[in-house]
Amino acid sequence: MSVRVDSSTFSGEVVRRTVLDNGLTVLTRELHTSPIVTAMIWYRVGSRNEELGQTGKSHFLEHMLFKGTDRFKKGAIDLLTLKNGGNNNAFTSHDFTAYYFNFASDRWEIALDIEADRMVNCVFAPEEFEAEKKVVIEELRMGLDSPWGLLLQELDAAAYKVHPYRNPVIGWLHDVERATSVEQQEYYRRHYHPGNAVLVLAGDFETDRIVDKVSEKFSTIPKRPTAPDVSAIEPSQRGEKRLQVQWRSKVPRLGLAYHAPEIAHPDSYALQVLNLVLTEGKTSRLYQRLVEREQSVTFASAEYAESKDPTLFHIRAEARGDHTAEEIEASIHEELDRIVNEGATTQELDRSKHLVQAHFILSRERAVDQAMLLGQVEALYGLSYIETYLDKISSIAPEDVASVCSKYLTAANRTVGYLIPDGSANDDAEEGDYEDA
Amino acid sequence: MKTPEAEISRSFDVHSRTLDNGLQVLLVENPAIPAIAINATVLTGARYEPESKAGLAIMASNLLDEGTTTRSSFDIAAAIEATGGHLETDASFERVVAAATVLKQDVDLGLELVADLLINPIFPEDYVSKEKSRTLAEIASAKDRPQVVAGWALNELIYDTHPLHRPAQGYPETIERITRDDLVQFHGQFFAPNNAILSVVGDFKIDEILARIEKRFGEWNNRPVRLSAIPKPVRQKDRREKFIPMAAQQSNIYLGHLGIERTNPDFYPLQVLDTILGGGAGFTARIPQRLRDELGLAYTTFASITTTAGIDPGRFVAYIATAPENTKLATEGLLNEIRRIVDEPVSREELQDAKDFLTGSFVFAFESSAQIARFLIQARIYDLGFDYGQKYPALIKSTTAEDIARVAGRYLDTENYSLTVSGPMEKR
Repeated sequence: MSVRVDSSTFSGEVVRRTVLDNGLTVLTRELHTSPIVTAMIWYRVGSRNEELGQTGKSHFLEHMLFKGTDRFKKGAIDLLTLKNGGNNNAFTSHDFTAYYFNFASDRWEIALDIEADRMVNCVFAPEEFEAEKKVVIEELRMGLDSPWGLLLQELDAAAYKVHPYRNPVIGWLHDVERATSVEQQEYYRRHYHPGNAVLVLAGDFETDRIVDKVSEKFSTIPKRPTAPDVSAIEPSQRGEKRLQVQWRSKVPRLGLAYHAPEIAHPDSYALQVLNLVLTEGKTSRLYQRLVEREQSVTFASAEYAESKDPTLFHIRAEARGDHTAEEIEASIHEELDRIVNEGATTQELDRSKHLVQAHFILSRERAVDQAMLLGQVEALYGLSYIETYLDKISSIAPEDVASVCSKYLTAANRTVGYLIPDGSANDDAEEGDYEDA
Repeated sequence: MKTPEAEISRSFDVHSRTLDNGLQVLLVENPAIPAIAINATVLTGARYEPESKAGLAIMASNLLDEGTTTRSSFDIAAAIEATGGHLETDASFERVVAAATVLKQDVDLGLELVADLLINPIFPEDYVSKEKSRTLAEIASAKDRPQVVAGWALNELIYDTHPLHRPAQGYPETIERITRDDLVQFHGQFFAPNNAILSVVGDFKIDEILARIEKRFGEWNNRPVRLSAIPKPVRQKDRREKFIPMAAQQSNIYLGHLGIERTNPDFYPLQVLDTILGGGAGFTARIPQRLRDELGLAYTTFASITTTAGIDPGRFVAYIATAPENTKLATEGLLNEIRRIVDEPVSREELQDAKDFLTGSFVFAFESSAQIARFLIQARIYDLGFDYGQKYPALIKSTTAEDIARVAGRYLDTENYSLTVSGPMEKR
């Protein structure tokens, strides 16, 4: 059945990696903490694979995977989940699309039946496609009613010139409106096949038995060639970019985006520590400066997520009282300069290491958290990333943090966006004097 | 193979003890991972605060970790963050909670910090003023979200003068009025071991953890605590509406009325009803199936009466966010489904599926030590009993179609309800 079996360990736990003849990678991780099994399948397709004018396709496809196959008609996947007392969901990112089921450990087989079937047999009935398009458009509108949804979308679109990470995962409204079921189906055939997928099983099972079942249900799916990878490479930024986004709120919000490297790049570990030093917890630099001392923000956060291609290091904050976005931005730059000049302290590094270690231990409690961690890493890079992760984080020195800060978090490498009032905000609504538009 | 129900039975193997000072202690050994969850709950909350000082309970909970007689705000944060653990405080209408999750070797620190926060907070004057300005800013920020605006408006209509009419965060004018003295007094009035429950779940042995708990919490002095009786809210006998114009992409619609208390024996048939009408797995329930899957009106739509049930009656709510031009259609759609479950019996298959879902998904409520610790507190507050693991499936399984018809008729009202809509509107 399987051509390759390896085992990998992280935090002393065994993960078995099996590759079927048709190319499907299967990761299994026994976890007997609760009588629960998570089955999660990851496809290496996301908004980075989408062509101009067709943004949002990967996410729309995620919706269509619940819309029926010949074997599991429309509604059947949710109904089986209900009858078996489970839950299911799915999510799409720039780099991948993932689906999962959580079931009690005496009934996980149904998840394998569904995933094996919908990997290749979705039907794409045009009427279902058009009906679901309305749902996707409502989801898109909901995102635009969130201040951060809107600001980060505009910020990323300005930060990248050519790389598809510039597009929102949900797509641009006009692209979604024009999407067709035929194009969608073609996209599905191109990207959904065993060689482009990682199936992760975590929880209360016996590995040999579950791997046999996976083989039984998936090995009849034919092997297919993997589509050529996206080749856009983002050119270096040649100077600061600034933008203003008008919105109904009176509360100023700001976002900064710095070009930063992809997962497992040698600099990525120090950038992750920098992220923790800047905004994780009440002792972090930006919390102490902006929330405690200057009292200029309700919160400040940083995000630097693992990604396949070079990505963005985001910092964002929400102003409070009479404080302005300009003033907050200036303080953020000063704190970054301080790190460049002085580095991180040894206490900050110790704290970051303990946070990462504790996070690894706590993530072993729930099957779904394990499946999430393993699947993401395998889909983006390979399990070796987590095997060496703790060591790499532990080896970061104060000057490494200063060095990545001065290399990436520079003025010329940043895009700064402000959400500014469009003048429509009203303090309090009058009652009853209105009717629907 | 053991059934999942049998395997979660350890969650109900509860060691219960009351310390000499009256603190109720609930313990469950769970060696799944080398970590320990601590949950200390004080039986007070926003329902006990005066209307003129709305927001007091949440503000008090936010300030618990901003300084004690033994540690500064920074010291507290530095101590927990150095271990990689979490420490958090929170409040609702009926509880104030200090909770921590720590690795096994840090359990003493976790207990010490939680005890310190509850017993010795000093509410430093400078942090009180910081917290007031931060709360005001958060209220302003929340008002940018159409769903929050419509949800707050619904509570005002449903609860009338009962404390739950307010946002738990309070109003800008009541936040302005809160002083350090109010916070100190609130703490003095309610924070006592005889008015608190401590649950600890994780990788420990009962005897050893009890000694540690005794050391940290045993010195907490008890005193009489008087919890004032709050007049019960009355379910409306009229229709109430509020439309709030906002320049938004969607209309956010809430429709509902007063719900039930958690101790109401009809909670269980109503959970089955919720699963059929507006909850369950994926989009299987009637409201998401009809309004999302068939009509494409929304990405998010649901209904429930049991999720907000507490000491006070919660709310029955149906919610949908839709394109502004579909507001009437969506509102009618929600009402139609509520009418249908009141007027027509549910099918045998729907009933069985809902029951299978609830009994089958019961295991997910006991996956982590923190979840079990929260369950123990609820079990004590609502008198669920530590045989809940056996009782719950039986209560769900015994629900009949007649039960659903009876509780639908009794607890849902398609005439006398409150409706709030936030979103784009044209002036008449």
